[in-house]
Amino acid sequence: MTLDLSWLADPLYQTWLLRGIGMTVSMCICAIALMFVIGIMGAALIYFRLPMLETITTIVVELLRNTPPLVQLFVLYFTLSELGLSVRNLATGQQIPVFSGFTCMVLSLALYNGAIAVEIIRSGLHAVPYATVEAALSLGYSRPRIFWHIQLPIALRLSTVPMTNNIVSLIKTSSQAAFVAVADVMYYATQITLENFRNLEVMLTVWVIYLLLASVASTICGRIGHALRIPGYGV
Amino acid sequence: MSAMKPETRAFVYGISGVPVLLFVAMLACYGRGTGEALGLLADRSGILLTGAPGFRGFGGGFSANVLMSVAAIVVSVATGALLCIGTIANMRLIRLISLGVVNLLRNTPWLIALYAMLYLLPFYVPVFGTVIPFSPFVKAVVGLSLPVTANVAEVLRGGVDAIPSGQWETARALGYRKGQILRYVVIPQAVPLIIPNMMTVFATLFIGSSLAVVTGTSDVLSVANTITASDGSQYATAVQLYVLLLFFLFAFPIATLARRLERQIREKS
Repeated sequence: MTLDLSWLADPLYQTWLLRGIGMTVSMCICAIALMFVIGIMGAALIYFRLPMLETITTIVVELLRNTPPLVQLFVLYFTLSELGLSVRNLATGQQIPVFSGFTCMVLSLALYNGAIAVEIIRSGLHAVPYATVEAALSLGYSRPRIFWHIQLPIALRLSTVPMTNNIVSLIKTSSQAAFVAVADVMYYATQITLENFRNLEVMLTVWVIYLLLASVASTICGRIGHALRIPGYGV
Repeated sequence: MSAMKPETRAFVYGISGVPVLLFVAMLACYGRGTGEALGLLADRSGILLTGAPGFRGFGGGFSANVLMSVAAIVVSVATGALLCIGTIANMRLIRLISLGVVNLLRNTPWLIALYAMLYLLPFYVPVFGTVIPFSPFVKAVVGLSLPVTANVAEVLRGGVDAIPSGQWETARALGYRKGQILRYVVIPQAVPLIIPNMMTVFATLFIGSSLAVVTGTSDVLSVANTITASDGSQYATAVQLYVLLLFFLFAFPIATLARRLERQIREKS
């Protein structure tokens, strides 16, 4: 079996792949930011044992963690497109649907990996020594401020390793975006295979691209984790 | 509620709360038409669960996902164990190669592995005159096993690493060879540590089997798409919610059990 990679020299295919990579990266960055918001909010709701909200958060987290992200994506896509919300572009007067494939994908990634992030941050919060909370209480901090200024930063610093895994998993899951017609790497790869029928070669190229993206992400996260580690504290 | 173990409470919440939540989502979506949507789902349950109307056979639908996951578990445990032995081998070269393979497979998106296997594997393999066909099902199993192999190898290695090095040294002082130490000293102690993590990997694999839709097997998602196409796209949400519930009911107990075993180990040490 010989691999024919001559199509990679075609500038059109190069721009397609680069555009796809750009789309994947921007989608992942949006989703990671939203993932942290969801993770921190969910962990706070469960940690403070707010009545009702804690139960609902637990149920939603269990639902999201134990079901396929692909099916979640389909549910979001079908349900949200049913709602048919749209905004008006002020410059051109066009109606743009609020929940495009991109929004759905970002939401779906942020929800699925956010649910995992909730668990990660929650176990990080439990690992924070209670003496620090008591010290802060004696200094006159209020409970929400203790959470925001003391517990949360320590918890995040203690959980950089599982969070790195979670972020890499998010990047890998983002390859599903092609299912809802988001023009990411996979989408353009399918496009290229439709033109030149080099299915295997294109897939291997995409495989390498995702490996590179995941490696870069885990290196960056590893650096951040190393810089943020608490010296002399376990990790 | 406070007397219950934390994961028992989470289990009760989840197993009763999630169906209610999904039902509420359906009510919100369909309003008065919920009854019709439920009737359609009841009609189509057979085909979604077994791939054929009236619960005949196990070749398709959700049962195909289960079969596929079980087959992938068997394959990936075998290959993962080999890979794990490779990562703790004496020879540096084998160690480096195995570690490289683990990292490569670990960073591979499942979808890409499935697509790559779809095109990499031939449609049939002639072995001594008999032709062994590679059905989409087999391709899906191979594609799912690839990333899971790396996860299994990592879990196994984690278990072996968790055994204190004193055990190795003591056994060596008593004259055991490396293989013997692994077999008689390390593995019996590592198995209880490995099992919960392994179950988590299996739950993930089960969830990931939804991606097999790309290989063209008659798994639950392709059946769901067929139903949506034939019965009208207004029922797409209902069908997808139903699939979501199926996956949840299967994966959630495994995940809960894994968490429970994990806590028991932590409390023992």
